[in-house]
Amino acid sequence: MNLPNYFLADLPSEATLSPTMLAEACGTLKRNREQYLAPRTTEHMVKFIANLAEGWLQADHPFRALALAQGPGKTGFGRPTLERGLDQFFGQLTRENLRALLVQELGDVKRLDALVAPPGEAKFSRAAIATGPEFLVHIAAGNIPNPTWMSLVLGLFTRSAQFVKCGRGASFLPRLFAHSIYEADHKLGACLEIAEWRGGHAALEAELFAAADCVTATGSDETLAAIRSKLPVRTRFLAHGHRVSFGYVTAEALVGQAAKKIVAAAADDVGAWNQLGCLSPHVIYVQRGGEFAPEHFAQLLAEELERREAREPRGDVPPEVAASITSRRGIYEVRAAHSPDTRMWHSQKSTAWTVVYEADAHFAMSCLHRFIYVKAVADLSVALQAADAVRGQVSTVGLAAAEEEAQVITETLARWGVARVCPLGQMQNPPLTWRHDGRPALGDLVTWTDWEK
Amino acid sequence: MTSDLSSFAARLREFIAASVPVAADARRLDSKAEDGAHFDQAKNEPPHVGGYAEKFNRLALELFNLQFANNSAYRIICEARRLTPLTVSHWSQIPAVPTAAFKELELTSLAPVERTRVFHSSGTTAQRPSRHFHHAESLAVYEASLWPWFAAHVAADVRRLNSSAAGLASGVEVDPGLLTSAATYRTVVLTPSPAQAPNSSLVHMFDFVRQELRADAGAFVGRLGAVGEWALDFDATLAALTPNGSRPLLVLGTAFSFVNLLDEMSAQSIRLELPTNSRVLETGGYKGRSRELPKAELHALITERFGVPASHIICEYGMSELSSQAYDAASLKSEGQSLKSGRAFRFPPWARVQIISPETGREVGEGETGLVRVFDLANVFSVLAIQTEDLAVRYGDGFELIGRAPYAEPRGCSLMAVGSSRA
Repeated sequence: MNLPNYFLADLPSEATLSPTMLAEACGTLKRNREQYLAPRTTEHMVKFIANLAEGWLQADHPFRALALAQGPGKTGFGRPTLERGLDQFFGQLTRENLRALLVQELGDVKRLDALVAPPGEAKFSRAAIATGPEFLVHIAAGNIPNPTWMSLVLGLFTRSAQFVKCGRGASFLPRLFAHSIYEADHKLGACLEIAEWRGGHAALEAELFAAADCVTATGSDETLAAIRSKLPVRTRFLAHGHRVSFGYVTAEALVGQAAKKIVAAAADDVGAWNQLGCLSPHVIYVQRGGEFAPEHFAQLLAEELERREAREPRGDVPPEVAASITSRRGIYEVRAAHSPDTRMWHSQKSTAWTVVYEADAHFAMSCLHRFIYVKAVADLSVALQAADAVRGQVSTVGLAAAEEEAQVITETLARWGVARVCPLGQMQNPPLTWRHDGRPALGDLVTWTDWEK
Repeated sequence: MTSDLSSFAARLREFIAASVPVAADARRLDSKAEDGAHFDQAKNEPPHVGGYAEKFNRLALELFNLQFANNSAYRIICEARRLTPLTVSHWSQIPAVPTAAFKELELTSLAPVERTRVFHSSGTTAQRPSRHFHHAESLAVYEASLWPWFAAHVAADVRRLNSSAAGLASGVEVDPGLLTSAATYRTVVLTPSPAQAPNSSLVHMFDFVRQELRADAGAFVGRLGAVGEWALDFDATLAALTPNGSRPLLVLGTAFSFVNLLDEMSAQSIRLELPTNSRVLETGGYKGRSRELPKAELHALITERFGVPASHIICEYGMSELSSQAYDAASLKSEGQSLKSGRAFRFPPWARVQIISPETGREVGEGETGLVRVFDLANVFSVLAIQTEDLAVRYGDGFELIGRAPYAEPRGCSLMAVGSSRA
């Protein structure tokens, strides 16, 4: 199956975009939105999205098949990694979950359709309606597709015309999703545009930003600052800077048969999207003093990653990525030869996976692509001290703790500034109702009209 | 015993001296390589004939034995890899130490009291630098290695341009002394002086070249900036570069110093026309000290602002962890090579390079990309086998540099590094 040339990103790579083309595309999107999207109800959108997601979960779904067939070459993710990623993302998009999201963020499923008053508001003779942006622009970072897919889903809810700008060569999975929308409903597809260019193209971005009511962006702090500086003052900007995540395993949890499951969960988090998302762990802190020493945990994790590689191979990486991994391994190999405080396990004759154990607890940025640090700590306070350099930038902590200690740990992490705590193994698989980096993803898109009766 | 290393150092210098005609005549050997008579690319055999390969192997293994015995930090690494003099039978199996290890370990056979000099890697002040320890004897080896290969690349051009005037027939070996006896060049060095940068191997190298070329210490027009960074005194630099008669100039500097200078010249609308036969040697990365330019663009700007053609621009590849340097020069390249920039680096015959696949750890094939690994016999008192973090494409026994492995070094808190990864 070949994709029709429907979106700008479908054009052959030698085709160059001009500001005029973009201005026309923006105008068309807005007109189409007015005609085809604005009149639809939330309930209609819920059903549409849930049906679409159900399709993506079927083995014979043409777009899924295409993602799995061409994805490894176009994205670097191996087929099993893609499969797992697709199942986890689209498995979340059920009618029930979509409605729960609307209630959580807007207080009522019909809030985008009419003035409504849930009981709490009715008591005060109030009602309110939420309105989405007319024209929503997403600047996608392109490491993994989930944030872009989710942005598109939320934009469908708010009935916005949407333009997704992907990085050069990073539009494949967002494009497939957009094509599946178009295939299911041409008119909805006509309210979407996907394009790719290298970020910082001033003339193109000026057209786009002039048309936008709201811009969402994922990227480095410099990227976000550059975008912010170019936006008209009244354009809303929802910036998601890069975040890091880590795991924390308590001595209490790491006992008996449970230990094996925790190791498998850690391997899930390292393997999911090859560790490339902001929610993927760089480090797994393991508390000393339990049945399994942190070093032993590291060794078990290495053995598990070795088994995973046979089942879910990481896939090829470009030479510069392999060079980073190899160079870093070289450093740890030298350290390990000189001190028992460092140990390393890694795949042979490939860079597919690496586990570095260090007694030194200082948070370390992984070079990713299944390169994980395991670090020993006496307790959570030591781990948080060691991670002080990334305080305020931590998205997720994957936790493996005994039931009775989990709440206290989570409260400590919340006060320290962590946005999300989840079970280890689920780090890259947040629920639909997840508050992205601590902010309501749908709630941040809308503006309210309050009616005091 | 380090006396064994001293004896090795003496013999190595003889080996280098014997290799000099080969080195100086690299151009002629290149043309031999083209007809395939002496050059087997698949085996990464350099274009040196006779018993060279055997001799290199013998010397490398001997030096490995000595370093294994005398350099405990290195021995520990070798033992961890289960590679010892008993198991290593070819130079290519000698365990290579990552350059980053020079930051953490004292990779030297010199006792602390013997270390009279140390070369540091450049880089940001936040990082620990590499440390390569030297003493008089090791510096003598360094200089013995440095000069003939440097001279071969500068002299090759002198020969070509002056061949009729000097009465040299094509293919006649060049005496590197030609450079000095004629006092051919007026030398300008765009770095701080050795007094200001005593731990820079590059400045030491340039200073040695300066002395061989009999230029006075005023040749250094660089200075240290407010935070110890290398800067240029633009007025002094432009004064030094302004032609004075027809004597050609030899301008030595880092890529970033050239960029800063070219930017300043552009801002002041200054264009120089250096005398015919002038040459420019540029080296090193940028390390954030100026805007970064692709090599071809930098060379085009040098041509534009200095009037020096690309054929007269030489690139050097070296580092504090090595004692030999590689050069590329448009004037030395074989015809028909399909390099992107048309230029490949080559080390002298007493050093060998392998381009190693970062994925498999094996040497890559022709035209493929990998990490540069250097076996440098002139690293007598440290470690002869060095694994760099530089990515290069292999062309025969040479390579074209394409950049540094990103995020090779573990960092505690640099979110920027990840932020810019694939965004």
